[in-house]
Amino acid sequence: MAGKSGRSINNVPESSIKRMIFSWEGILILIFIAVNIFCAMFSEFYNVSSLLRQMPVYLAEVFLMLPMAYILVLGEIDISVGSIVCLSATVCCIVCNMNAPFIVVVLTGLLVGTACGAVNGFILTKFTELPPMIVTLATQIIFRGIAEITLGSGGSITMSNLDGFNAIGGKVGQVPYILFLVVILAVVFAIILGKSTFGRRVYAIGTNRLTAYYSGVHVQKIRMIIYTVMGTVSGLCAIFLLSSSFGANTTTGNGFEMDAIAMAVFGGISSTGGKGNIAGGVIAAFIIVCLRVGLGQQNVHAQVILLIIGVLLIAAVALPNIIGQVRRAVKTK
Amino acid sequence: MNKKVISALLCGAMVLGAATPVLAEGAGDGQKIALVGKSAGNAFFEIAAASFKETVEAEGGKVEVVYPETATADAQIKVLDNLISQDFDAICIAANDVNALQAKLTEAMDAGIKVSSFDSAPNKDSRQVFVNQAGTVAVGQALMDAVLDIAGGEGQFAILSATSQAANQNAWINAMKKIMEEDDKYSKMELVEVAYGDDEPQKSTDQTAALLQNYPDLKVICAPTTVGIAAAAKYLQDNESACKLTGLGLPSEMLEYTGDDDAHSCPYFYLWDMQGLGKLSAYTTMSLVKGDITGALDESFTAGDLGDFTITEADDGGTEIVLGEPLQFTPENIEEYAELY
Repeated sequence: MAGKSGRSINNVPESSIKRMIFSWEGILILIFIAVNIFCAMFSEFYNVSSLLRQMPVYLAEVFLMLPMAYILVLGEIDISVGSIVCLSATVCCIVCNMNAPFIVVVLTGLLVGTACGAVNGFILTKFTELPPMIVTLATQIIFRGIAEITLGSGGSITMSNLDGFNAIGGKVGQVPYILFLVVILAVVFAIILGKSTFGRRVYAIGTNRLTAYYSGVHVQKIRMIIYTVMGTVSGLCAIFLLSSSFGANTTTGNGFEMDAIAMAVFGGISSTGGKGNIAGGVIAAFIIVCLRVGLGQQNVHAQVILLIIGVLLIAAVALPNIIGQVRRAVKTK
Repeated sequence: MNKKVISALLCGAMVLGAATPVLAEGAGDGQKIALVGKSAGNAFFEIAAASFKETVEAEGGKVEVVYPETATADAQIKVLDNLISQDFDAICIAANDVNALQAKLTEAMDAGIKVSSFDSAPNKDSRQVFVNQAGTVAVGQALMDAVLDIAGGEGQFAILSATSQAANQNAWINAMKKIMEEDDKYSKMELVEVAYGDDEPQKSTDQTAALLQNYPDLKVICAPTTVGIAAAAKYLQDNESACKLTGLGLPSEMLEYTGDDDAHSCPYFYLWDMQGLGKLSAYTTMSLVKGDITGALDESFTAGDLGDFTITEADDGGTEIVLGEPLQFTPENIEEYAELY
């Protein structure tokens, strides 16, 4: 029995320390430490302050991983989030350039995201036979299409009033605000998924939807809530993205959905549903962030960085499988 | 045992990472300059980058050429973040977006890093000076005259550009539109569409096919991008289209498509001296670091054997240094240049 933790490498309950090390999260922590030692060894510029300075651009994507984890635990997928980010950012820029107060700009961004997420949720809960991959592929194209039409022929928009976005891009000492927010949101998402009835129901749906339904779980209501929250968080991601790029264009948010899914899967959240937890996803996200910053500081070719992350991802997904096979082989002997 | 398997795999991944980095040691008293491209794999840019590197190294400096993971401003922001963390004296950038890099480039300048740009300029507040291959109007004029000449004075033409945000392409296209409006001799020319091939060969080919299908009377396609022109040239020639081509391209890639007869798709096209551009950008950037120039209007400096240059006002209100007129490649001279570019 795998339990709700990501991948159980060792099923025998022994001392708790040993169990922790052999849990997927334990291994991720070891990888995290190894990545940091490695980066610090090879880059003379890799240290806490440069890491904190470079982190904000990547952290905006970590937001997306949190609700994406819920969707993956449901056994579903949302590939429209990159486009939602693009549309939210575009509308934010337009509203900002109309000299609206900053709070209005932020609320608009969140509202646009929420609306997009609600559209996904509405379609998926009204037409339950439709596969989420196809529906969100369609809305991915639609949302980005709307954004591109709004952006017009120039294809990009820049904000004229940067005060508000400069403010949220600020820091306490060296620690950027966004890091606090990521941590707070991660804790909230982790508690709801891991400790609440709502979370249990999400795992129940992901493990066996029909059983969950007959047990009285409001499957469609929960799906609707989760897809809508995914949209809201995409809006949040857009707002923090704007605090570093100060503008939107047709490529804003391109590929973010895949980055978010990669972080979650690397963190041990199974894409077939019912397995994984937020802690794993968060550690995995920080491994990827540190790796990108560390390798980037050594001017490693960008494509090589992607290749390394890809290899790491395959290894992460295949590892429990390989170990299982090795163990079986040993046992049969 | 588990731990061993895991650490072995981990080490594998780490070694893979460790094998690739180019470690930049402190270059002693030499300058350390970073050159940021728009995206990897653009032959046209790489000529300028190689020439830039050669020039700086001959002067005792060091150059790191860095490309973003995608041809977007967002990816360039990450690259700039990386560079600011290191100890570069200067950054020379070909920008993927006019405005989006302002915050990061300003941060770099605040950190004491000199910022120059070439090939594609960020806005005037994001740079100290821009090195322009040829004045925007000069390129627009050359392309518009070529279109007029090849079309025979009248008819439909289309533009096949890079991305919709590419700053330099947009500037040339706008210049062409303006020239068309202002002079009566272009009154019989009709620009039917500006298509975007995103500087990808396949997409550029698809866009060319779509243009031909949508506008059967199309006489000329003008592709002010090396990737676009090469893709369109192959498509037009393979399909024996009556539609002809001009624009900005690399002679080596265009060699088999250039000719005056019907068997070739491109009568002639343009490009500037990319080696010269790289070299001038290198001297400009080194002069910024040395403090010989600050990027202000009317300052002048010597760019090695290229001669003396003076900083002038750019179209966007910032400052620039102009290399010269674009070069024309015809069936007569293309073979000679194809060996260079």
